Amino acid sequence: MIQITDVWYRAGGNQILSEINLHVKRGEFVSLVGASGAGKSTLLRLIHMAILPTKGVVRVDRFNSRSVKAGDIPLLRRKVGFIFQDFKLLEDRDVYDNVAFALWATGARRSTIKKRVFQVLAGVGLSHKRYARIEELSGGEKQRVAIARALANEPFVLLADEPTGNLDPVTTEEILKLLRKINTRGTAVLMATHKDGLVKTLPSQVIKIKEGRIVP
Amino acid sequence: MSLNLLYSLREGVLAMRRSRLSTLWTTSTIAVALTLFGIFMVLTFNLQRMIDSVRQHVVLEAFVDASLGEDAVEPIRATIAGLDGVSEAVFISREQALARFRDAFGDDPMLVLDENPLPMSIEVQVDAAQRTGAQIEGIARRISGIECIDEVAYKGGVVEIINHWSRYIYLIDAVLFFLVLASALFLVSNTLRLTIMAQKKAIQIMQLVGAERGFIRRPYLIQGIFQGALGGGIASCVVWIVFALISLRLPALFELPSWLLLTPMGLGALLAFWGSEISVNRFLNDV
Repeated sequence: MIQITDVWYRAGGNQILSEINLHVKRGEFVSLVGASGAGKSTLLRLIHMAILPTKGVVRVDRFNSRSVKAGDIPLLRRKVGFIFQDFKLLEDRDVYDNVAFALWATGARRSTIKKRVFQVLAGVGLSHKRYARIEELSGGEKQRVAIARALANEPFVLLADEPTGNLDPVTTEEILKLLRKINTRGTAVLMATHKDGLVKTLPSQVIKIKEGRIVP
Repeated sequence: MSLNLLYSLREGVLAMRRSRLSTLWTTSTIAVALTLFGIFMVLTFNLQRMIDSVRQHVVLEAFVDASLGEDAVEPIRATIAGLDGVSEAVFISREQALARFRDAFGDDPMLVLDENPLPMSIEVQVDAAQRTGAQIEGIARRISGIECIDEVAYKGGVVEIINHWSRYIYLIDAVLFFLVLASALFLVSNTLRLTIMAQKKAIQIMQLVGAERGFIRRPYLIQGIFQGALGGGIASCVVWIVFALISLRLPALFELPSWLLLTPMGLGALLAFWGSEISVNRFLNDV
């Protein structure tokens, strides 16, 4: 499903990633652990094809970094959900519109959008807040909205870049529980974190990154 | 209408509401630029109308040998009417000439003279296509060559002056037209660029969730068309008010056809569409 083969990435005169080999199977939970600046986010951006490798190949489903066209990238992103530490929500819209936004982009029908938005909001436990404004939500609720948006198009993998970075321990535990629930329903999860202790509680394959390289 | 287009329409309208200040600024910029443009267009249109009117009144007067009887003038009039470039030739008798003199000057020459001093003449109207000084001179020469024509008088100088100056006026018009158009486009694309920059986060999120380029661009283009048409509409109203006020004092000086009045609105929508297209493409190429 995701196959990274001998990937190197260089930017601004710095070697960010070197000799990365990684295989993520369907339904797997993988934790990428490493200090800030180790290259975790860059690796996730390579999978999302926001950037392309300097050397090597990234294969995500039927998309190949060597042959992918600009017009194919939106199609890839509909199947690869992405959540961030800073949530990346539209503050001027309510919860419903933030989630529906991802579906409008695909040209889905209004009735399908409504049904799907209610479904994913129920899945993340936010049905009761569907018409709340983003500014009225707590950090944990904002991350749930971001997760709901990422799941709206039924992705086969969810990329999570420090998803608990801005959250307190109790909320962190809730979000991790939610990610586990999503994973048990068949969506692969690839989570990047700098918190070593966090992954101990997860039934995940742990991959350590140090200075741009995967280390044992 | 596809759902995506409906969504883009809704987003375009909502975006204007969400960024009221920037919408106000963009619309005002378009309105100011197009008001100047609209005033300039009305002035040019009316200048052209005045020049055409002066040209239409160019008449040659062919004076006929005084010894001829009025009956003998008709074949001469017919010959002149048949000349290439002549649209009309009308015989003016000595009595008609005297009556015109009285109307024009209020004096009666018969009070001091024993007989009517004014000669018979043929008034010649020139085709609209033959109104350059050289063409009129050519027609006058041909009329002079006809037997029993004593003299041909015409205001060739006026035509030459109009033709000479209208060339410069049109040149200045063309330069002004492009200056106004270029500055309006520059202003519009830059103000819309600021609007789009303010929506940077929204655009990045759209890309994040897999929105295609066309889907991202469309609401901004619709927003641009709305703002342009609104700004252009305001410009049309201002132009109408300005010339309506002038017409109160100077009636019949300016003509204001409806197509001319609607031009700023249409042009506003077009300019803003073009400006948004430039801005949003530049932005999407950068991110």
